[in-house]
Amino acid sequence: MPVTWLFLIVLAIALAGYFAGRARVASASGGDRPHSLPNYYGWNVALKALVPALLVLAVWLVAQPFVVSTTVSAQLGEGAVPEGSTIGLVMSDVRRVADGLDAAVEQGLMSASEASGLDAATSNVRDRLAEAGAAIGGSVSPEVLAAAQTWRAMTATGTLMMTAVVLALAIGGAAWGWLQTSAEFRARNSVEGAIRIILLGAACIAILTTLGIVLSLIGNTIQFFRIYPASEFFGSLTWSPSFGGGSQLGIWPLLWGTLYISFIALLVAVPIGLFAAVYLSEYAGPKMRAWAKPLLEVLAGIPTIVYGLFALLTVGPLLLSVFGRDGLGWMQAGTAVMTAGLVMGIMLIPFVSSLSDDIINAVPQSLRDGSYGLGATKSETIKQVILPAALPGIVGAVLLAASRAIGETMIVVLGAGAAARLSLNPFDAMTTVTAKIVSQLTGDADFASPEALVAFALGMTLFVMTLGLNVFALYIVRKYREQYD
Amino acid sequence: MDATNIKRDDPMYDAPLRKTELDVQQNKIAARDVQVYYGDTHAIKDVSVDILDKTVTAFIGPSGCGKSTFLRTLNRMNDTIDICRVEGQISIDGDDIYDKRVDPVQLRAKVGMVFQKPNPFPKSIYDNVAYGPRIHGLARNKAELDEIVEKALRRGAIWNEVKDRLHAPGTGLSGGQQQRLCIARAVATEPEVLLMDEPCSALDPIATAQVEELIDELRQDYSVVIVTHSMQQAARVSQKTAFFHLGNLVEYGETSQIFTNPVDPRTESYITGRIG
Amino acid sequence: MSDATYSGAGKGRSSLTTADARTAKRNAAEKRFRFYGLAAIGAGMFFLVVLLTAIVSNGIGAFQQTFIEVPVYLDEQALDPNGNRDPADMRKVSTFGYNPLIQTALYQQVRDAGIETSYEDAGDMKALLSASAAAEVRDWVLENPGRIGDTVTFELLASSRVDGYLKDRVSRDSIVNDRNIDAGHLDLVDALQADGALHKSFNPGFIFGSDASESRAEQAGLGVSMLGSLFMMLVVLVLALPIGVAASIYLEEFAPKNRITDIIEVNISNLAAVPSIVFGILGLAAFIQFAHLPQSAPLVGGLVLTLMTLPTIIISTRASLKAVPPSIRDAALGVGASKMQATFHHVLPLAMPGILTGTIIGLAQALGETAPLLLIGMVGYIATNYPDGIVSGFMAPNSAMPAQIYEWAKRADPAYYERAWGGIIILLVFLLIMNVIAVVLRRKFERRW
Repeated sequence: MPVTWLFLIVLAIALAGYFAGRARVASASGGDRPHSLPNYYGWNVALKALVPALLVLAVWLVAQPFVVSTTVSAQLGEGAVPEGSTIGLVMSDVRRVADGLDAAVEQGLMSASEASGLDAATSNVRDRLAEAGAAIGGSVSPEVLAAAQTWRAMTATGTLMMTAVVLALAIGGAAWGWLQTSAEFRARNSVEGAIRIILLGAACIAILTTLGIVLSLIGNTIQFFRIYPASEFFGSLTWSPSFGGGSQLGIWPLLWGTLYISFIALLVAVPIGLFAAVYLSEYAGPKMRAWAKPLLEVLAGIPTIVYGLFALLTVGPLLLSVFGRDGLGWMQAGTAVMTAGLVMGIMLIPFVSSLSDDIINAVPQSLRDGSYGLGATKSETIKQVILPAALPGIVGAVLLAASRAIGETMIVVLGAGAAARLSLNPFDAMTTVTAKIVSQLTGDADFASPEALVAFALGMTLFVMTLGLNVFALYIVRKYREQYD
Repeated sequence: MDATNIKRDDPMYDAPLRKTELDVQQNKIAARDVQVYYGDTHAIKDVSVDILDKTVTAFIGPSGCGKSTFLRTLNRMNDTIDICRVEGQISIDGDDIYDKRVDPVQLRAKVGMVFQKPNPFPKSIYDNVAYGPRIHGLARNKAELDEIVEKALRRGAIWNEVKDRLHAPGTGLSGGQQQRLCIARAVATEPEVLLMDEPCSALDPIATAQVEELIDELRQDYSVVIVTHSMQQAARVSQKTAFFHLGNLVEYGETSQIFTNPVDPRTESYITGRIG
Repeated sequence: MSDATYSGAGKGRSSLTTADARTAKRNAAEKRFRFYGLAAIGAGMFFLVVLLTAIVSNGIGAFQQTFIEVPVYLDEQALDPNGNRDPADMRKVSTFGYNPLIQTALYQQVRDAGIETSYEDAGDMKALLSASAAAEVRDWVLENPGRIGDTVTFELLASSRVDGYLKDRVSRDSIVNDRNIDAGHLDLVDALQADGALHKSFNPGFIFGSDASESRAEQAGLGVSMLGSLFMMLVVLVLALPIGVAASIYLEEFAPKNRITDIIEVNISNLAAVPSIVFGILGLAAFIQFAHLPQSAPLVGGLVLTLMTLPTIIISTRASLKAVPPSIRDAALGVGASKMQATFHHVLPLAMPGILTGTIIGLAQALGETAPLLLIGMVGYIATNYPDGIVSGFMAPNSAMPAQIYEWAKRADPAYYERAWGGIIILLVFLLIMNVIAVVLRRKFERRW
């Protein structure tokens, strides 16, 4: 793998640079003490060799396929796209052929010149590539083969250029650092400056992640709205995807299911969590706190798949035996809004209780003293002084819990059912935004179909909703904290 | 402990009223052999003291001497601290307040408290003052409650400053106003004893003067116990002074006598500034 | 107090020792409130107990499996028709060549034990044995060609129906419409059990084995997907720890108070609350669609989980850095160290236990995460073979523990439910170990400044 080799060579240059830098300062100082410790001169050379070279390498690796595919698809033009296909499908064929040819050369099935001189008209490209382990769907058209050859040629030149540029940068950087090295040179400052930039780069990964999320959602969502009208998506009350086409993809049944399940979850989690937090922070002795708090938090540490299974196999059948056909007759199957909501509520108890606990503890002791000093009982103090004082923080905690509930996936995938319907009966099966994202993207659907792309529009909706809730909740909580700081 | 003029073996109840040089005032609180422990720390050792009605009693002493701790035993605020243990007897009007049958909630309605830092609730001024009367059910209707609030605010000497903004948040007042609001809040429940834990330590000199003036007025109706760091303040506002040192009550007597002619050498060292 | 204006209850010189009506009422309200709090904690504990009971009672059975001891005569005629013990030739005999031998052997065994049965054909024994039995015997024979012609006793997996019968999941009533097994077979099972040939015992295959197809629940194991999880965790550890620590150091020690810093901080706290499924979408779009990394690869799973865990690690690392008192920094700066030196020589080592604790907890969270893995294709019947080496461990399609559990929970055969619960036990044991390590680290190195 040339990239691995390139990486190792750059690393080796840096290592050599490190020792060269150290050696140079030792000899250059001539008895005077250099400005920095010898290590810093070594690091100065090594970092100058390493950082620019690796940065260019990374950017090149990301950019090259992009540039190549744009050029090649421009070369193909509209004419090469057969009826009923898309440029994307043709391009993946091109790519497969190109990869196949490379594989064939690598395995020694073809000589390099034979591979680049291949003619679609005379030889059966498909069979020859199959020998190399590359499976091509149909026969390879001359246009595709030509495009694949361009692809290979461009990639080869690109890789060659990349190798040259990266090596030049590494050697150049090392040389620069080495020439800088003298007793007066402030190597420590230079190295520390570089480390600072590296640290900043690490911190920026968070921004890159958010950017990545937004771009990947927006790009595909726009793609989706090109082939499916946004008015239908936001206006239709029916969700019935059919992979044959003619789907109705209205978001409302999914949103309703999401909100209904979240509501039930909060109905379970908020009272229990809040009362537990009040008891733990105001009544419980240190001993009880020491065991009850961690035990409650175990509920938060259990993965959601466990709750999903619990909903599907324990809670669902249990509810069915009470509310199902043998009982009250309200429930058709074990998977229902109630099942998912209850289990999600259990999952959220520790989330609500630990957040509320923090918030209640932030209420200054002096307020409690003031109230007790007036002869209030504990519960009066809690209800009339502490909770009102903590209210904004608690609202923030509940909103954060709501955002958790809306974004929760595994419990609803396993416990809520798959039917998208607008119903008020909490014992009906319904489905949610997250569950549908999973089902639309894990099937064998064509990635370019509206049925698959709708998942990105759903993801976008989910992201916007939870982000809004989070920003708002964090704002409230921060304001609340500032009040008592 | 001669200076306290208390004979340990005095029967606690119907103890004959002691004739002091000043007047014949009724004994309000009687503490006998009080010990307070925080975990393993012996914070209050063997304190016995009589606190008179309609008098301002000042507790002075260096920091950490236990004066605040002792004050908090008088309305059982120490109950809210898990590791705190109180031994000995404290009675108010002859009732042992550490008796099992005593409800601290009732006790604290009777023995109000004002704290070091002004601690108005994050509610309106009106609700701050009305809080106590509401929980104790002192008013039958809104009109009565209004009356109680007004009276308390007047007694807290803050009525004129807040009468136009009773529904503004109490936390929006200045420090001195907040402390007077807290005093008004304490007197609104009609206590018989008012405990003040360094009520002026967070205030500027002008606000301090206002609060001190108020304390002097409160003496008309209440037995006031004030913990203070400042000897000048004790001399200004109190009639009786108790000097605490390392958990012991060193000397207790007339304020004028303590400051001019202390009996115990430790008291003298403290008021002349050699310990503290 | 001589004020008689207010005639509210509980006023005046009432005795402290007798509670009046209002106080009694207030105290009752107090008791009630206290009870609600206790009840809430009780409810939380109750749910925890129910959940753990459900997991253990349903899952413990997965660690046991029903085996049948069958003395199989390894007939040379059938297994090595050329008689030259050439592995290449022997490989030509597929499992179809082995099946009759095994079934005959079991039939013979039933006969020899004198068990009454209405079955007259060795083929009827098929229902008792796992479909994997032939492959198991074949593998053994290919490794030990010298034993051909002998009679060797094998411990063969019983079919999942038989296993279910021993675990009370399958009963005579429930198999009325089952085409795979008859009541007669269950009679045979009873008899073989009494005879000692059929027994339930610990099944290492569940812990170390690979996934099996829909119809072979008895053969499915978690081993391969455990390895998938391991490779993902390696990726997360190698990427998230250094990046997270570097980002935290920057934000806590070096970042100037400006807009960029604000944006980064807001970003991190929001990322911590983004639903995990959204990270799955990111992984699908960025790593698979855009960067063309292989689908279902633990490498991609690890990358997605890295991005998801980073905020957690950054938040806890910053807390540990913040807990190091400024006096330490001042002391280092005071002897002429640069800020960078003060941070790396003094602050970071002191914060390390806290950082590691946070990292382990972040890893534990990543280990249990399922939703994003579904979107990058780490679910399905894919955890079938152990990877050949390190590279294929990262790149070859694999599942992960929670995704495998999800896969089993979706399958139709109830035998898989037991395996899903069992998988959860294994997953929770891992999480428990990680959390215990985190707690021990914290206890051991916790400093009070």
